[in-house]
Amino acid sequence: MLTLFERETLNLATLNDEQTAIRVEQLNLAFDKKSVLSEISMRIPANRIVALIGQSGCGKSTLISCFNRMNDFYPQCRYEGKIIIDGRNINHRNENVAQLRARVGMVFQKPNPFPMSIFDNICYGLRLQGVTQRRQLDEAVEQALKDAALWNEVKDRLFDPASVLSGGQQQRLVIARALALKPEILLLDEPTSALDPLTTLHIEELMAQLKKRCTIVIVTHNMQQAARVSDYTAFLHQGRLIEYSDSDTLFTTPRKKQTEDYITGRYG
Amino acid sequence: MQQVAFNTHISGKFNTELENLRNSVLTMGGAVEQQLIDTIKAIRYNMPGLAEKVMLNDAAINSMEMQIDQECLRIIAKRHPTASDLRLVMTISKTITDIERMGDEIERISRLVTKQQLPSSETVKSSMLLICEQVAQMMRGTFDAFARQDEQSALEVYEQDDLIDNEYNKLLSYIVGEIEKNTESMRDWLEILWALRSIERVGDRCKNICEYVVGLARGEDARHSTLENMVKRLKNFS
Amino acid sequence: MDKRWFYPWRNAAQRQTLVISLCAFFTAGLLLGLVGIILLIFARGGGYFWPEDIYEFGLPIDNKPEVRVFGEFQGSQGLASLGDKSARYWLVYSHSNPPYKRRALVAAHRVQNADIARHAARVLLHDGRTFLAKPVFLNKHDERGRVLDKLPAYQQQVQRLTDQIETIRDIHLGPLHRKISTLTLKDSQTNSGELLAGKRAFERWQSKVIQLEATRGQYTLTLEFADTNTITVPLNQLKQLVYPGQLNQVEKLWLTLGNIWQFLSQPPQQANTAGGIFPALFGTVLMVFLMTLIVTPFGVLAAVYLSEYAPRNAVTTAIRVAVANMAGVPSIVYGVFGLGFFIYGIGGQLDEWLFGDSLPAPTLGTPGLFWASLTMALLTLPVVIVATEEGLRNVPAEIKAGSYALGATKAETMWHTVLPMASPGIMTGVILAIARAAGEVAPLMLVGAVKFAPNLPVDSEFPFLHLERQFMHLGVLIYDGAFHSQTQTSGASMMFAACLLLLLVVFILNIIAVVLRNKLRKRYQKET
Repeated sequence: MLTLFERETLNLATLNDEQTAIRVEQLNLAFDKKSVLSEISMRIPANRIVALIGQSGCGKSTLISCFNRMNDFYPQCRYEGKIIIDGRNINHRNENVAQLRARVGMVFQKPNPFPMSIFDNICYGLRLQGVTQRRQLDEAVEQALKDAALWNEVKDRLFDPASVLSGGQQQRLVIARALALKPEILLLDEPTSALDPLTTLHIEELMAQLKKRCTIVIVTHNMQQAARVSDYTAFLHQGRLIEYSDSDTLFTTPRKKQTEDYITGRYG
Repeated sequence: MQQVAFNTHISGKFNTELENLRNSVLTMGGAVEQQLIDTIKAIRYNMPGLAEKVMLNDAAINSMEMQIDQECLRIIAKRHPTASDLRLVMTISKTITDIERMGDEIERISRLVTKQQLPSSETVKSSMLLICEQVAQMMRGTFDAFARQDEQSALEVYEQDDLIDNEYNKLLSYIVGEIEKNTESMRDWLEILWALRSIERVGDRCKNICEYVVGLARGEDARHSTLENMVKRLKNFS
Repeated sequence: MDKRWFYPWRNAAQRQTLVISLCAFFTAGLLLGLVGIILLIFARGGGYFWPEDIYEFGLPIDNKPEVRVFGEFQGSQGLASLGDKSARYWLVYSHSNPPYKRRALVAAHRVQNADIARHAARVLLHDGRTFLAKPVFLNKHDERGRVLDKLPAYQQQVQRLTDQIETIRDIHLGPLHRKISTLTLKDSQTNSGELLAGKRAFERWQSKVIQLEATRGQYTLTLEFADTNTITVPLNQLKQLVYPGQLNQVEKLWLTLGNIWQFLSQPPQQANTAGGIFPALFGTVLMVFLMTLIVTPFGVLAAVYLSEYAPRNAVTTAIRVAVANMAGVPSIVYGVFGLGFFIYGIGGQLDEWLFGDSLPAPTLGTPGLFWASLTMALLTLPVVIVATEEGLRNVPAEIKAGSYALGATKAETMWHTVLPMASPGIMTGVILAIARAAGEVAPLMLVGAVKFAPNLPVDSEFPFLHLERQFMHLGVLIYDGAFHSQTQTSGASMMFAACLLLLLVVFILNIIAVVLRNKLRKRYQKET
């Protein structure tokens, strides 16, 4: 029988280590005594875009922050369970967190370029890694800006302050800044919620391009966005992983009623 | 209204998806067209084997319809198409229903051959083949118009349906005359009448698709209006 | 009946108008006060430099009904013009008996026949004395009335003689003197021949100097007071001779500028009542500079620790409250603390360790520039800490998060991102600290500022910057001047001039800091 359309055929439950970028096992997380994430287990496939959706306060931002241990900045935050990236449990106390964050890039809701030139913004991470040679930096900046589809717009004003860029350009600059470190995983925490729809589409297209280079985990409030960009979608509710499957299935025929209610806008 | 190209979205993947969707409709249409051509051949040369194949192939067309339908659903769920994109997806969703029904009608015609109920009268057979050929031509024109989203050629194809209806009515009255002459042959004629009706229905469905194409291209529902009306309104547009 | 019928402001609009008027009234009062202060200081301080016209008039002095004097009016008491008979004036006049310069508050009707004296001059001597008198002749043997023609030539000759004397002193007398004293110290017996030769040479040069000085002494200038008494001053003492009555406004302006320059560049004379204030200006700026160098790193580091590293608990809160309260401690307390802790405590201890030989004479354990700067740094520390903390708080959390997310450690984030962005806030703190430190007097008098310091804290002698030296300070000078003005005539105007200068110094330091801050702000804070 003729097959008209190609479909993703990864089985999330049986991904092997090669195909897995992040493996989460029995992750529990609590702020003070309040449980935020409970018993999360999931495998995030490599070179795919995985969206985390759910209501505000369902723990999706907390979960994404676990992947580069940004939760460490909250002293009242306690977590247990394993998160395995590249064969290492990053929740281990001996993990070099700074190095981890260099390998797992993160982009936040509001574009947050540093108050320096565009060039210096992109070099920031590299310089921290000890790269000082001008030629190396030049090449890295060009590559990162090209990867972030920003090169043509800013190549003539690399040394202007980053604040002259528009919101969408700033967000792409921030993405370029993360890409300069050649991360294996890119975490996007509502990267487009502060941007206008068209700029949002540009960023989304950028994500689709970046998929070849790294695994992308995106948290979004915007279900349509999750549907548009993601290959796989995880729905969280009150700190639990309710449903996690490929986006085609989840957005056309969800298996759980809670998911259906959420994506069809039926929550009270 | 200016015609919008479907491959100019920011999202490259969306472009590909829409292109694939459109192509898959054409693929399906091509398959149905081939079915009709095979059927004509089977009738002309009385080839029950070929007719059998046509009947089996209909399952493939049904599967295509399901797949395209699924894809439309997926695109609506994931891409939230709007305006011309939405019209395209919805049009395709309706078009494939029509195409699938064409496939069914063609299957019914080819059943004449497998059941060996072809008309004994060469006149009727040749008239029937003539109508079939005309319908095949119309179908080709329809898919062509769809592929190019060309409402002008769609309208030309639309006009052809009147010819087919004329031929059909002529043949019908001829057959009614034959039945009146010899009421015993009624049973044989009935199957032929059904087949003729099916052919005529295929033409009607082509007409439907032409209406969709006009609607898609012009962004206005062109169905169920008389041809004159449509032409008049088209003139107003341009 | 409306209970509020008696209010003059019966409706909301009236009430609002009243409130606005009150606010405007008090603001206007404040403005008037400010403008008044500035005008007073500008007028009194600026007048110090302006060559006033010299008048000749009669004045009842020492039981004599009328003595003719040269003098100048230094503004009236109250608001009255010169023609007003009932007005009272501050008069500065020259008298033929010491003290030559006197000051008196006189009613206008007692001033008789005041006329501008075109031939009277203001004569300034190097020792700070000022005469208002008519120069009559140079040298005894010269004819009268041709003073100005010959003055430059005479002054040139005097200068040449002075140069000769200085050269002899520097090249011959100085080394000889040192040689003789070392020889005397060593052993007078063994080197007696050498000693004798040295002494003889010294005497020879000495007599030469005396001879030259005698020659120089023949160049004199004789001045005649209004009562026709004369005084003769040696020409080498003459610093400035001006005929205010013969100058037009532009020339006066030039003279004023020259006076200002002298004021800024000369050391004080006559117990801070004449001359310039350069050492005080220098001392103030240097002290503030040193204080800034000390307080900025201390304050910034403390603030960084408090706001970024310290655990959020009661102790931190208590520290923060304590820091805020430190800003309110009276400054004299800091002075006492500096004296007791820094000077007697640390300085004394260091003396014991490092300069045990010279005890009991203290080396470091005395008031000095460094201790003063340290005390002022301590005094201004809370200001810097509070401002820096504020600046750190204003750095958006997402910027910090962005830096962490790129693999920066906390320290790297601090150094590369947060501190640059907080730098405008830090600068604000430093500005406030500078303004406060430049204006403080009380603690400084305890820890190192003096009325008169013989040496600048910076000179060509190794190690060039002498942190242990005492220094002069504008605020202390003003304080001193204010004391003088109660008893003596001449200190007051100098005090006002110093006030003006202090204002300008604080103003300029602030301007520099504000410009710097705006530059930083432009660079590091996103425009919203």
